[in-house]
Amino acid sequence: MKLHRIMAVIVRHVYEARRNLDRFMDMIYWPVLDIILWGFFTIYLAQGNRLHPDLVSFLLGAAILWGVFFAFQRDMTVGFLDELWARNMINLFSCPLSVWEYITGLICVNLVKTLVGFTCASTIAIVAYRFDIVPLLGAFLPYLLNLVLFAFAVGIIMAGLIVRYTTRIQTLAWSFAGLLQPVSCVFYPLKSLPGVLRAIAWMLPTTHAFEGMRQVLAGGGFSPVHFWWGIGLNASYFGAAILFFNWIFASARNKGLLVKIE
Amino acid sequence: MIVEVNNLTKRFGSFTAVDSVTFGVEQGEIIGMLGPNGAGKTTTIHMILGLITPSAGEVRIFGRDIRTHREEILQQINFTSPYVAFPYRLTVLENLLVFARLYQVPRRREKIDAMLEMFGITDLRDKPIARLSSGENTRVGLAKAMLNDPRLLLLDEPTAYLDPEIAWQVKELMMRVQRERGTTILYTSHNMAEVEQMCSRIVFLNHGRVIAQGSPIEITQSILKEERDEPALEEVFLRVVRERISA
Repeated sequence: MKLHRIMAVIVRHVYEARRNLDRFMDMIYWPVLDIILWGFFTIYLAQGNRLHPDLVSFLLGAAILWGVFFAFQRDMTVGFLDELWARNMINLFSCPLSVWEYITGLICVNLVKTLVGFTCASTIAIVAYRFDIVPLLGAFLPYLLNLVLFAFAVGIIMAGLIVRYTTRIQTLAWSFAGLLQPVSCVFYPLKSLPGVLRAIAWMLPTTHAFEGMRQVLAGGGFSPVHFWWGIGLNASYFGAAILFFNWIFASARNKGLLVKIE
Repeated sequence: MIVEVNNLTKRFGSFTAVDSVTFGVEQGEIIGMLGPNGAGKTTTIHMILGLITPSAGEVRIFGRDIRTHREEILQQINFTSPYVAFPYRLTVLENLLVFARLYQVPRRREKIDAMLEMFGITDLRDKPIARLSSGENTRVGLAKAMLNDPRLLLLDEPTAYLDPEIAWQVKELMMRVQRERGTTILYTSHNMAEVEQMCSRIVFLNHGRVIAQGSPIEITQSILKEERDEPALEEVFLRVVRERISA
């Protein structure tokens, strides 16, 4: 891994973010819109005393943090799609850049973009709804780490699928996180899921992250069970994602897909 | 030898795109790779670049195997083709800055300015790629290809979208680069006159196989099977295509 090549990838995507309205919308518009909608919804529920005060925090906190997960895995996939749409893959991989340098650069850019979206959404939550997530961040950090790690793993798998199946499956960039959301227990506790789905949910680091955060908000403190389950699952998914990507990239090279993809 | 291609073969399922291709390229030589569409030229170039894994055979560049020394080799070579593109929202300068970083070019901006001037596109510096004509895009590709002062330059139909005047300029520039810097150039083109003028040696491919290699006059005599004083690659090309000549 060479730092100058990772920097080149970062610079390439920073230029893209500056000049591409789609990337700006992805980075700021959607996280802000999400928080505005959920904010009004919680106000409506709170006004009629239909909602326990803690639930306002649950919902807004969950909306912000799900936004982090969704944005990160989407941007990993969209980063590769940008190269495909621009027919830039041959230029990139006929120079000394390795695919893991490319992915590392993309991860760095996406961390910054996600942080910008997170900051905007959190600011709106403080100003408009008096929900301040910042004092909770310390307690949330272990779970946030698990969310981001899982987003890396999912993003790497999605990027691999894009390399193999190209733009034919580009919709996965925006839809795959949606598939995980119902079983990630973002807005409701794990126990509210039926049996089979509960078993599936238990195997997702996102579920453990949101369960752990709910426990913090409810005053139950740090949950080692959810944290370590999340870490263990992430280690497995991350390892699997790296193996999968290496295999699919080698397969794409073998099938000549790197030079054909568009 | 700067490039050694030994029994290079690429099969896609039951289709053999490149079949036991063997040739070498000497230091400082401009070698042309000719053949009709689908002859296997571009696939061969992509295997030389490590973009496609060969089914059999090997590619050695600067005496090293591309599979095991990819990074070291690609740092010293470059490639362009009008069939690939750059991120279209980025300006010419931004794109070249990214590639200059990738190749760790010292004094990036100075180098880019020199390349823009070399290819007569200084006025396009701050234009987004999306607003360029195909010919302008090709020249940006050539500027990118010269950024790292490559020892070996792979050019896949570099003059395909250029008008005759610009194509002539590009040809002259490539010959100057070869003369002044000793750059080795592997070149594919459908412009036979250009190849005759530029290339000291030619590898003629058809149906994935080398059907002849040598100087333009040797190729002419070998395929037309008659004595000639001047190369006639256009005639050779038409003969190969019409009579389906293969190895």
